[in-house]
Amino acid sequence: MRTNQITDEERLKAFKSVKKPEVIDKQKLGVRYHVEDFDVNDRPRGFLEAFAAILKHSNYRMVLEHFSRVSARCSHCAVACQVYQATGRREDIPCYRSELLLNVYRRHFTLGGLLKGRIASGDYLTDEKIREMAESFWNCTACRRCALECPMGIDHGLITHLGRYILSEIGIVPRALVVSTREQLEGPTRNTSAVPVPALKDTLEFLEDDMFEEKSVKISFPLDVQNADYVFFPAVSDFLMEAETLMGIAAVFRATGDKWTIGTGYYDGINYGLFYSDRILERVIKNIDVETKRLNGKSVLIGECGHASRSAKYFLPTFCCDKTASPVLNIIEYTYKAWKDGKIKIKPDVITEKVAYHDPCNLARQRWIINQPREMLKSFCKNYVEMTPSGENNICCGGGGGTVSIDEIRPYRTTVGGKLKADQIRKSGCEVLVAPCANCKKQLRELVEDQGINCQIVGLHDLIYKAIEFDVPQPADTEELSNGKGVAQKEGK
Amino acid sequence: MSSILEFARGPLFRLCFALMILGLARILFLDVWGAYKALRKAGDKKMPWKLILSRTWEWIFPLKRMKNNFHFYSLLSILFHVGLIIVPVFLFAHIQLWKISVGIFWPSLPFNWALILTVSTIVFAFLMLLGRIIIKPIKELSKGQDYLWLLLLLVPFTTGFICVNFSISPGTYQLLMLFHVLSADVIFLLIPFSKIAHCVLVPLSQIISGLAWKFPPRTDDDICTTLNKKGAPV
Ligand code: SF4
Ligand code: SF4
Repeated sequence: MRTNQITDEERLKAFKSVKKPEVIDKQKLGVRYHVEDFDVNDRPRGFLEAFAAILKHSNYRMVLEHFSRVSARCSHCAVACQVYQATGRREDIPCYRSELLLNVYRRHFTLGGLLKGRIASGDYLTDEKIREMAESFWNCTACRRCALECPMGIDHGLITHLGRYILSEIGIVPRALVVSTREQLEGPTRNTSAVPVPALKDTLEFLEDDMFEEKSVKISFPLDVQNADYVFFPAVSDFLMEAETLMGIAAVFRATGDKWTIGTGYYDGINYGLFYSDRILERVIKNIDVETKRLNGKSVLIGECGHASRSAKYFLPTFCCDKTASPVLNIIEYTYKAWKDGKIKIKPDVITEKVAYHDPCNLARQRWIINQPREMLKSFCKNYVEMTPSGENNICCGGGGGTVSIDEIRPYRTTVGGKLKADQIRKSGCEVLVAPCANCKKQLRELVEDQGINCQIVGLHDLIYKAIEFDVPQPADTEELSNGKGVAQKEGK
Repeated sequence: MSSILEFARGPLFRLCFALMILGLARILFLDVWGAYKALRKAGDKKMPWKLILSRTWEWIFPLKRMKNNFHFYSLLSILFHVGLIIVPVFLFAHIQLWKISVGIFWPSLPFNWALILTVSTIVFAFLMLLGRIIIKPIKELSKGQDYLWLLLLLVPFTTGFICVNFSISPGTYQLLMLFHVLSADVIFLLIPFSKIAHCVLVPLSQIISGLAWKFPPRTDDDICTTLNKKGAPV
C-alpha cells in the first residue's frame, strides 16, 4: 500500500506531550492536549451514562446499528486518510478508530453484547479504553475524506464527532475549545476571541480608512442596520487576523450596493459545537438566529470559514425548526453570483504570482462550494495551478475538526496532520495559496512555516480586494452610504 | 450418504434459506424503520437526495473511487464479488433445482462463463486471503471471522468446481456435494448475523449517513435534563 510516512525523528516530535506528568497523573488521562480538571471517579460509568442519554435523544443509534453491522475491516479507508498515510500506525486507520466506539456500542447497547458480557463478563469499558478514544478522536481531523473511500459508506467523521461528544459530557474536551466556547456563550464579549464591541468598532473604522486610502472610494462596514438583506457572521478571529479578507468582502458589497450588516449583539460565526458537542452546536446556532431576527435580516451570511458555514447552513434549519430559520449562504456564493451578474469588476492582470486553491473540507466534501472560487480565480489569476486531488476529494489542511485551535498539538498538526497537504503544496509550486477558511488559513500558515515552504496563505477575498476595480468616486461615497451607515458615521465622527 | 445429501439440499437448505431471508428482512426492516424514525425526529427534514443518489450510484459502480485512490485490495474485492454473486444465482444446475422444487426458473449462464467466473472467484478469494495476511493495514484490522468467511466462501466454489469438471468416483462426488451443500447452508444461515449482512444494508448506507447528521431540535434541553446538567456552566 502506498504510504508517505514521516521519519522516526518527526514521529517523536509530533507525538511528544507538553503536559506535565503530575497533571496527567492527577487527571488520570494521558492525552497530549490540555483538559480542564474533571471528575476522575468511575469514568466508564459516566461515559456509558452520557452515551445512553445521547442515544436516547438523538438519531445516532440508527447509524451505529447500521455501521456496526456492515463494517468489513477492509482498510480501503486507510488510503484516504492523511493521518494514516503519514504515520502508518494501526491506531490511525479510520476503521480502527471508529471500531473503538462501535465496540463500546456493541458491548453495552446491543442485546448480543449484553448477553455476551453476562456470559463471558469481559470487554467492559475501562479507563484505558476511554483514554484511547480521547487520544484517537482528537488525532482525526473529522475531514470525512475516508467516507468517500469506504465501500460500506461508513462516515468516520460522524463517529469522531459522536465520540468527542460523549467524551465532552464527562469533561474530556480540549481546554482551548471549551474556554473559547465559554466566553462565546457565557462571557461578556459573546465571542470566541473575546473581542469587545468597542474594539470591533475601532478595527472596522481603521479598515474603512485604509480602504479609502487604497481604493479612493468610501467602503464601509455597516453596523446594526435593520432589515438588511444579509447579516454577516465571519469567524470572529478575522477581525483580528484577516483584515484583507474583510476588506475584500466590504469591497464586494460596495460594488453590488446590497444591504448588509454586522450586528453588534452577536458577530461570531465560529461554532465549536460542530467539533465536539451537539448541545453546544445548538446553543451557538441559536445566537446567530436571535441576532438575525433582532435585526430583522433576511439571510445569514457566513464569512470565509468552512465549519462556520457548514454549521449554520446545515444546523440553523435543524435547531430553529425548519420554518423560521433564515436562509444561509457563504460569502463565496454571494460574491460568485455578483461576479456572474457583472456587478463586480476585477482587473485581470493584478495577480501575477502562481496561485492555487485549497478546498476547505467543510465546503467541498459535500460538493457545496468547489467550482465557484476556481472560476473566479482563473479569470483574474494568470498563473493559476490546480493541486490534485482537489474538490470533493481534497486533502485536509491537517487542522480540521477544531484541532487547529489546540496550540499544544501544533507539532502533530504540522508534521502528521498536514504532511500530505505540505507535499501537495510543494508539488504544485504555488506562491500563493487561497484558503477561504479561518481554520485552514491558521493551520496552513503554521504548516508552511514549520515545513519551510515558501508560500503565502490568503483568503479568496484578499485577492479580490487587490484586484477589484471601482468606477470614479460617486457622490454617495462621501455622504451617507447607500448600503447603511459605516462605523465612522454611526459614531458621529 | 445420499439421504444426508438429500436432506442437506432439501429441507435443510429450505430452512437455512428461509432463515436467511427472514433474518435479512428483519435487519432491513430495522434499518428502514430506524431511518424513518430518525427523519421524523429530525429538526430539518430536507435530505440531500442528489448527493445521496449520486454517491450510492458510485458505490454500485466504484470506478471513480478506484480512479481517485487506487487500492489493489479493492480491485480484488470487486472482481471477487462479481463471481460470488453471479455464479450461485445463474448457474444452470442451481436454476434446475429451483425449477424442480419450486417451479420457478430464469436464464442461466453459459457453461464456459460459469467456469471462468468460478475459477476467478476462487483465485480472487485466495488472493484476498493473502492480502489479509500480508497487507499491513488490512492485517491489522482483521479479526478471525474475516479469514473464516473467505475460507467458508471458498468451500462451495471449490467443491462445485471439482464436481463439475473432474471425473471422480461417485462416493467422492457425493462427499464433495455434501460439503458443497452444507457449506452453502451454513453461509445462508450466518449471513444475517454477520458482516455479510452488508449485502442488503449497504445500498442504504448513504441515506443512513445523511440522516445521521440530521439532529433532533431540542438536543440541548433533552440531554441536560437527562444528565442533570440544567443550568450547569459550559
Ligand atoms: S475523517 Fe479525515 S482524519 Fe479522520 S479518519 Fe477520516 S480521513 Fe482520517
Ligand atoms: S473502508 Fe469502511 S469497511 Fe473498510 S475498513 Fe475502512 S471503514 Fe471499515
